[in-house]
Amino acid sequence: MNNNKPGRIRCAAALYSVLMALFALMLASPFAPQARAGGTEPAAKVVNPGAELWREVRQREAPQAGATQVAGMDSGVLINVRGEQWRQFRMEQLIPATGALMAGVLGIILLFHLVKRGVRLEHGRSGNYLLRFKEIDRILHWYVATVFIFLALTGLILLTGRVVLIPVFGHEVFSVIASASKEGHNLFGPLFLLGLIGLLIRFVSKNFPAKGDLGWFLKAGGFVGGKHPSAGFFNAGEKMWFWLVIFVGLTLSATGLILEFPFFGQDRPMMELSLVLHGVGAVLLIAGLFGHIYVGTAGMEASLESMTSGYVDVNWARQHHDQWAEACEAEGAVIAGEDLKKKQQLRGTKNRVPNRPATEEGQ
Amino acid sequence: MITAFIEGPLWYFALLVFLIGVAWRMFAIVRSGSKPDFSVPRRSVAVSAVMTSLRRFVPRHEMSPRIRLHVVAGYMFHLGLFALLLFAAPHVLFLQENLLGFGWTPMPYWAFILVSQIAFAGLLILWLHRLLNPVTRLISDADDHVAAVLTFVVMLTGCLALMEAFTGLRVLHRFTVELLMIYFPFSRLMHAFTFIPSRAYTGALFGRRGVDA
Repeated sequence: MNNNKPGRIRCAAALYSVLMALFALMLASPFAPQARAGGTEPAAKVVNPGAELWREVRQREAPQAGATQVAGMDSGVLINVRGEQWRQFRMEQLIPATGALMAGVLGIILLFHLVKRGVRLEHGRSGNYLLRFKEIDRILHWYVATVFIFLALTGLILLTGRVVLIPVFGHEVFSVIASASKEGHNLFGPLFLLGLIGLLIRFVSKNFPAKGDLGWFLKAGGFVGGKHPSAGFFNAGEKMWFWLVIFVGLTLSATGLILEFPFFGQDRPMMELSLVLHGVGAVLLIAGLFGHIYVGTAGMEASLESMTSGYVDVNWARQHHDQWAEACEAEGAVIAGEDLKKKQQLRGTKNRVPNRPATEEGQ
Repeated sequence: MITAFIEGPLWYFALLVFLIGVAWRMFAIVRSGSKPDFSVPRRSVAVSAVMTSLRRFVPRHEMSPRIRLHVVAGYMFHLGLFALLLFAAPHVLFLQENLLGFGWTPMPYWAFILVSQIAFAGLLILWLHRLLNPVTRLISDADDHVAAVLTFVVMLTGCLALMEAFTGLRVLHRFTVELLMIYFPFSRLMHAFTFIPSRAYTGALFGRRGVDA
């Protein structure tokens, strides 16, 4: 054993030398992990293949399409930074603006109602009536209203749900609600377009600009100057709402169809533009709807009856649509409350005349 | 647990109520009978029954202008609902796996969407007509409105679950279907089974007397 001891020491020394040499080589190699602080020579640039690949597909400069066998618009683009731009726009601008607009409009309506308590009938009810909307018009109105409210609710869930609903319900429940909302929204969208076309056909002839509309706007529908401005079948405010519904509604429908059927060659910028227009237009229309609902219900006494029974009190017509009321009275279209009551009883309705004044029978 | 209850005991209960209820209602109608008529038949009773059953699919000429919307919406809804019920892919699969043991070719996806939109539009128009027309409003009661709303909810939950990605949505649809099945025999929804016998009976009765019905 003693004879082998120097040999073993030599072997260990040789092995140690080889290991040290390898360690020195590693330190000198470009793959050395540590930086050389205060080193005399600059470190060689380390290229991370993963980072390079990520930079390539992220395409910070401009969209670049790679080669792929998948057919479809932009199918060669792995990651498009514009998606991030849309996300930022939605989260940082559109959703806060939506909330501010909704809250603002609701606040103005509430303030107005608290101050003015709505518009009352100046001369009370006359007990005589005029037919304002036929049954087909009322069905059409409520059809569009029902479909739009459904679309508005599901659309708002899709637009603001991540901010509003996730903190309340959590991710799992929200994913279910969002999936249902998306299916429902896509399904009912085309039904809104059909209703919109129906509205256009039925009401366009009464909504062209006419003499007196400018005056109506200048007096803000009677809020400025005190006296109620003159108006025909529709006043200027109603006409503005009609054209807003038509134009914004058609824009919503067109952009909705572009988004729902993305296989007709729509490119990414068109889809993004459609998303922005769809979101902004919908928010505007929903805000307008708040005002429309208020004016049609609590904001104006006896207005809702025109869309439920179809008949309005003559005093209501004289106050808000004096030109139309005069024309109807000249034609002898006024129906006395008792006659309307009999007429509707003949048709099988006892309680159709809204808020009839007390009669001898009634007393 | 709720899912298991809806897909298990409640499903069998609903099916039982539906089948027994419908059978009981139909049996009650048949058993009520009619007064014996000893007069000589003016026309063939069978032919009159068949002819009236078919003729009632088209409104009488005199009535057409007044009920055009009602008829169009009625066909939109009923044909749409019939197509959805029997030819929607998930329904065909469900019937095959759970009830019948065989299936048939379902509608393609695009047809499902189109048909459901037609059915929804029809149902909505019919319901609004019921509410806004003075006559239909007067002859309607809570049963009609409950049936309309329940049918709408069943169709809606079915369409919301279209992606078939979430068990919760499917179970919700199934729950509403079970509610409808339990409600069905006790409501005017029974007209789905009685409309042909009713037409046939009227046709036979009037045919025997030699009167057009």
